Amino acid sequence: MTTVEVPRISRSRATSASLRLSFLMFMADPQWLIPSMIAPVVFGLVAFELFRGSGPYYLTYAILGAGMMSMWGQTLYGSGWAIGQDREFGTLEPTVQSPTPYVYVVLGRVLWNVISGLIGGGIVYLVVLAAAGSPPAVPDPVGFVVLFVFVMLTLASVGILFSAAWVYTRYSGFIQNVGEFAFYVGTGCMFPVVLLPFWTNPIALIFPPTWALDALRYLAIPGYVGFGWGFWPDIAGAVATTAIYVAIASTVFKRVELHVLSKGDLSDY
Amino acid sequence: MPDTPAIEVRGVTRLFESRKGFLFREHTRTEALRGVDLAVRSGSIYGLLGPNGAGKTTLVKILSTLLLPTSGSARVLGHDVVEDSEWLRPRIGLVLGGERGLYNRVSARDNLRYFADLYGIPGGEREARIAAVLERVDLLAAADRRVEEFSRGMKQKLHIARGILHRPEVLFLDEPTIGLDPKSARETRKLVRSLVSDGVTILLTTHYMFEAEELCPEIAVLSKGRIVAHDTVAGLRQLVGGDRTLEAEAYGFDDREVDAVRRLPGVSKVVSEEYGPRTRLTLRLRSLQTSPDDVAAALPGHSELSVRERRTSLEDVYLDLVEEEAH
Ligand SMILES: Nc1ncnc2c1ncn2[C@@H]1O[C@H](COP(=O)(O)OP(=O)(O)OP(=O)(O)O)[C@@H](O)[C@H]1O
Ligand SMILES: [Mg+2]
Repeated sequence: MTTVEVPRISRSRATSASLRLSFLMFMADPQWLIPSMIAPVVFGLVAFELFRGSGPYYLTYAILGAGMMSMWGQTLYGSGWAIGQDREFGTLEPTVQSPTPYVYVVLGRVLWNVISGLIGGGIVYLVVLAAAGSPPAVPDPVGFVVLFVFVMLTLASVGILFSAAWVYTRYSGFIQNVGEFAFYVGTGCMFPVVLLPFWTNPIALIFPPTWALDALRYLAIPGYVGFGWGFWPDIAGAVATTAIYVAIASTVFKRVELHVLSKGDLSDY
Repeated sequence: MPDTPAIEVRGVTRLFESRKGFLFREHTRTEALRGVDLAVRSGSIYGLLGPNGAGKTTLVKILSTLLLPTSGSARVLGHDVVEDSEWLRPRIGLVLGGERGLYNRVSARDNLRYFADLYGIPGGEREARIAAVLERVDLLAAADRRVEEFSRGMKQKLHIARGILHRPEVLFLDEPTIGLDPKSARETRKLVRSLVSDGVTILLTTHYMFEAEELCPEIAVLSKGRIVAHDTVAGLRQLVGGDRTLEAEAYGFDDREVDAVRRLPGVSKVVSEEYGPRTRLTLRLRSLQTSPDDVAAALPGHSELSVRERRTSLEDVYLDLVEEEAH
């Protein structure tokens, strides 16, 4: 049998196609960003009032907490939602049927969610800033931005793994809700981890953003006391856990695909 | 190996098990396919005919790597659909059709761009290919409109455009004309024929016998997960009751009259259908012994009686096959 040459699949192109499509779909209906912003903005304002006057960096603290809350919500909800949507539209089947491994499509979706989470974080920043009247003090703005992007990438790795659950089954809302709560409390994005009971620490440490966020606080808030091991071990921990998540995600997606192909419910929603 | 079939199915079964409820679990088991064998020659178009729930979509999904068979094996282009799915996916196309399966909020062109990238179509060729494929399905004028504004027929065309964008060697078309008006359906069939002349091997499922008859030199009839017949159109006609069908129409027949017709020599089957005030008896004949006049003679006293002979259509054959299976 003679068969023609087929083009090589470019994973990065598939991912950017998926990112682009998510963006286009968002632009078609952008107002859904608003409801997901209410909680972070309220939290940001409460944190601002709570920590007001407790040193020069209280503002950074409030903004970081609320901003992270927004970004995390967006990543987790958005990632599950994107796949739930693919199920609903019936586009999960043709997408899975294409030669691109589905995990790269998911990566594009998740990256878009991280970006939209960032937009949300920006809105929180502006609102809290308006309440405070002056910009927060950041000792190392360049390092801050670099680290911030890094935090986003660690978030994306969690988003990918969570979204596997949505490919696996359409009943993933439960995992989602528990996951969100565990994250808010566990990672110390609301309160520093050291304030939490000790037993929660191991849970917090399985989330890559816990490490990254701790590092970010070390950088942005002089005098911050987080994990005892300090800034660089935090970074190393974040890199390692993110790598593990990504590695797990690609095998998980292979298995999940086999599972759904044998169950045959890719078009259910 | 020019003789290797493009599609080869051996003893494929597929069982669906689902559970419903949380406290009171209810198990349902559906044997969607119960041992299907099939071979499709390279470069040909093969029709898979069957009533609702026969297992057509299930088979198409298995062949296009979207579903695993419970047992048996299937090869497409000489490659196993389970083991070699990675090799196969860029070389096959699938059109499931229907209202779903497209990104409604974005334009037709953006839908195709997305899938072009997932299929690795070279960036420099992408836009031209999309335009060509949209032209081919006659959607170029609507290319930049959102899909949610599309009619059912336009969506169906877009489904087909996506299915052929990456120039697959084997194309699976699951009911490509369902829900289309006669004109769009005719255009779609024309498109299907043009794909075959490009050398694409096509497996097409349909409910419409005339469509299979028009497009497919070879046909398999699937009923309750089994192939109950597979042959050429002419061969299928021979399969059930030879080549003759007589129709008698009048304002009602009583049972005695129907029995009299049934007893005529060579009559293998009589089906009675009401058409408003009129009744039509359709007779299947295995021999030439009985003529329209004989039938008229067996039904005396009907002033408005008309009896005519017509070609046995594939539809007659198909209904026979599917009915036989039901008994
Ligand atoms: N995911 C699924 N879970 C459970 N049962 C299923 C599933 N998919 C199909 N079935 C069952 O398998 C049988 C065959 O379905 P299939 O969709 O293949 O039929 P079909 O010939 O395509 O019918 P139609 O002409 O209505 O499209 C049906 O009884 C159907 O209910
Ligand atoms: Mg079907």
